[in-house]
Amino acid sequence: MTRPNRRRRLAAVAVLALAAVTASACSSSSGDSDDGGGGAYLVWDPYPQFADDSDWVALLKKCGTSAGVTVERTGYDTTDLTNKALLAAQQSNSPDVLIVDNPVISTLAEAGALTTTEENKLDVSSMAANLLGAGQSAGKTYGVPIGANTLALYYNKDLLTAAGVDPASVKDWTSLTAALTKVKAKGKKGITFSAIGTEEGSFQFLPWFWGSGAQLTSLDSPQAVSALSLWTDWLKQGYAPNSVINNTQTTSWQEFATGDFAFAENGTWQLANAEKLGFSYGTIAIPASAGGPAPAPTGGEFVSIPVQKKTGRYATSQKLVTCLTSADNLLTTDTTLSYVAPVAAVQDRQATENPKLKVWVEAVRAAKGRTGDNLGTKYPKISEPLWTAVQAALSGGKSPQEALTAAQASATSK
Amino acid sequence: MTTSPRRVWWKTAVGLVLTGLMLFPVYWMINVSFTRDQDMRASPPHLFPTNGTLDGYRAVLDQQLPYLGTSFLVGLGTVALTVALAAPAGYALAKLRPPGGPALSFLLLIAQMIPGIIMAMGFYAIYLTLGVLNTLPGLILADTTLAVPFAVLIFTAFMSGIPDELLQAAVVDGAGRLRTFWSIVLPVSRNSIVTVSLFAFLWSWSDFIFASTLAGGGDHQPITLGIYHYIGNNNQQWNAIMATAVVASIPAAVLLILAQRYVSMGVTAGAVKD
Amino acid sequence: MTPTTRISTTTRGHGGAAEAAPPGPPAPRTRRPGRWLAWGFLAPTVVYLLAFYAYPLYRNVELSLREYTVRSFVQGGAPFAGLDNYRTVLADPAFWPTLAHTLIFTGASLVFQFSIGMALALFFRQHFPLSGTLRALILVPWLLPLIVSASTWSWLLNSDSGLVNAALGVVGIDPVNWLTSPTWSLTSVIIANIWIGIPFNLVVLYSGLQAIPVEVYEASALDGATGWQRFWSITFPLLRPVSAITLLLGLIYTLKVFDIIWIMTRGGPTGSSATLATWSYRLGFGNLLPEFGPGAAVGNLLIVMALVAGLVYIRSQRRQHLR
Repeated sequence: MTRPNRRRRLAAVAVLALAAVTASACSSSSGDSDDGGGGAYLVWDPYPQFADDSDWVALLKKCGTSAGVTVERTGYDTTDLTNKALLAAQQSNSPDVLIVDNPVISTLAEAGALTTTEENKLDVSSMAANLLGAGQSAGKTYGVPIGANTLALYYNKDLLTAAGVDPASVKDWTSLTAALTKVKAKGKKGITFSAIGTEEGSFQFLPWFWGSGAQLTSLDSPQAVSALSLWTDWLKQGYAPNSVINNTQTTSWQEFATGDFAFAENGTWQLANAEKLGFSYGTIAIPASAGGPAPAPTGGEFVSIPVQKKTGRYATSQKLVTCLTSADNLLTTDTTLSYVAPVAAVQDRQATENPKLKVWVEAVRAAKGRTGDNLGTKYPKISEPLWTAVQAALSGGKSPQEALTAAQASATSK
Repeated sequence: MTTSPRRVWWKTAVGLVLTGLMLFPVYWMINVSFTRDQDMRASPPHLFPTNGTLDGYRAVLDQQLPYLGTSFLVGLGTVALTVALAAPAGYALAKLRPPGGPALSFLLLIAQMIPGIIMAMGFYAIYLTLGVLNTLPGLILADTTLAVPFAVLIFTAFMSGIPDELLQAAVVDGAGRLRTFWSIVLPVSRNSIVTVSLFAFLWSWSDFIFASTLAGGGDHQPITLGIYHYIGNNNQQWNAIMATAVVASIPAAVLLILAQRYVSMGVTAGAVKD
Repeated sequence: MTPTTRISTTTRGHGGAAEAAPPGPPAPRTRRPGRWLAWGFLAPTVVYLLAFYAYPLYRNVELSLREYTVRSFVQGGAPFAGLDNYRTVLADPAFWPTLAHTLIFTGASLVFQFSIGMALALFFRQHFPLSGTLRALILVPWLLPLIVSASTWSWLLNSDSGLVNAALGVVGIDPVNWLTSPTWSLTSVIIANIWIGIPFNLVVLYSGLQAIPVEVYEASALDGATGWQRFWSITFPLLRPVSAITLLLGLIYTLKVFDIIWIMTRGGPTGSSATLATWSYRLGFGNLLPEFGPGAAVGNLLIVMALVAGLVYIRSQRRQHLR
């Protein structure tokens, strides 16, 4: 990229010449995103499921009005958003406010695409430290969490009662496996989760990985092997279906929804769907190997302010972010997203308003950021070998030990 | 090809079975579009949507109709632009044999090889700078890349079959190249124009990667993007996704059957003309 | 019926793809000025090619020759790395298996798509009631967004709740882990891809068949040739040019297939169904931290493969002309 500008202009001229010919026929150009300054502020979020008449968009508009600007919002598919944000940054055309999944923050920060909260005087003092960790790198914070989610075990009450299992007795791995054995003896299926070959697979494996006492810096430790062996044995014994290797979190939820499964590892975002189940359900924290709740990874998004050429825009962006992350608005947003708020006071309000959220608030408080522990952009290089190892062991290609040894070798070589 | 009526009906029966086999996955998609969330992973699977739900369709009819309109406009625009670009090029390559023509044909072949995601990223960078993201002309320009190389190849192939005497006669009559092209080559090539249009329309209709890169989130989203309303961050509404696909394919299927008629009509019409 | 116009279209049409072959008897040469005027007709397409294909291609080559990190991707200044990215890719233990999968995937898909497409085209060529409508209906899979058709296939092939395993169970065969076992995953994505590719082959081959004059068949019928003999001695040779272009286009489209595989298996488990196209995507986009350089390098290797196939095609066409 020696002279990107000139080259881009040349390409642009060629395109324009052509566009002029064709565009004259259909002259609508409402999506004019490039305005000089003031006027419309661009917000990108990963919530394409929210249409223009949703509460979320209403909140964005309201925050825009109180900051004296109009907000132009675009909802992108979350897997797309990282690339779009990087490309936009490359073309110096970033949105004014960017809401992204938390592990992406470290990548974008590494790319120099985000401003720090210090530069823009965003107040993050009230945010829970374990959630904020995912947005921090080398002592600097690059965004404000807008809400958090995490994983727990949903269980089918009817099925457990029939199998004679008391959910309260599930306290560690041994008691969980014992419960699965009883369910299997009843002719039902034990547990479903998602072990797909993407970040989703690592996300779902981490509670067991961390719950064994393993660390991401050493993938082949005996603890790590014990966690992977737990999953592998469940598959071998028929406690978990073979389809978990290809399950996304949605398909795994669909399996649970059939009523044939006793347990499902899934997230806060399924709460609304859980109410639609044809049986009564409950939730427990994912147990650690030796008992007690295992640390689950935090999910959820951060609100950030990307770097702009026109630094004059920051002041308004700052107002928008402050508005979106103010206590009252967090409560609204996190209720629509069925997330847990990142601020302790709001979490308490959520738990009193909806007692079912109590388990989740506790789970979020015990949760851990994936890019935390100063891993930052090292995390993706560990996560990919990790999910590959999980897939290798579950599909029977390698033993858990072999798979994790290979994963560690691959993680250190990168 | 004279066969007894009984033999003919036997063939229709085989045809029905073959079509049924090919379309079975499509049936499955329709089945899922009526299925309740709790039955999606039922084992064994339900062959028919017993306890079916219309939730998926309700969502689609409430939200998706404007997207169908966009898809149509984009499809028509793509067809027009593709034919406008490719027909003259096909004529030139087939009949005028310009220096460097073979090399250009080869380039066209290679152009199709560039992975879609890379094309999309290139477009994204250009469009972002120009500010034509999320516009109809922008999406039409991009979708046209799906069909232009193929269309030029097809036009070249078809047009090289036009008898030279026909064109020569026109030249003798004093018609210029442009007139010859307009009043002789194009009418005679009606059949190939229909074929190319059909391909161009279908490709743009089912395009996903350009739409999601270049029009995602704007006011002009085609139907393939409508699906994204049901793919949340952690959650997907499969009956609505499949219902969208069903609704999206109905107009296209009708068009396909009509075009099929027209192709055979065009064939006879062309033959009569000679 | 005088099918002159349409016949020549496809039977002789191959020439246009690579070289302007004179159709039938050598046509009188066009006058010199016409040749340059030809570029007037070509100009829109050339401008279009330069504007929209050259830039992404250039970008991809550039990405593969520099050592990009996310930082230098955004801020610029990535050091020139020569062929380092290519070396990295070639040295990766995943390279050879992935290449093998790509060749198997492409080869098997082409053979089956083509032969099934051909069989269907021959079948539908015989006019019987509803033949036109049924033929049009077979094209419906084409209309579906890939995310939908690929998801439907992964639904059907699901180990536990898939219809295919349920059907096998009825016949008494043990369930197969179609998508989740390293032995079967490649087969599964090939099956889905064959299904998706049949309509294209059917359409092009069918229009090629339409172009074969009925008289030719009538003559051979007088000679007492059977259906099978007729196919090998008349249909197949006359269809060769159309077949060649169908296979070449099929090859190009199949080499770059990525959505189907990505949606069905993500190239897994453990890379057992990964092709160069999915690998390129995984490197460049499928991870939290994109590796642009190696991803682009794999993409360019794919383009080179298609280039080689194109050259082979041109040579074989030329040889056929000499004959």
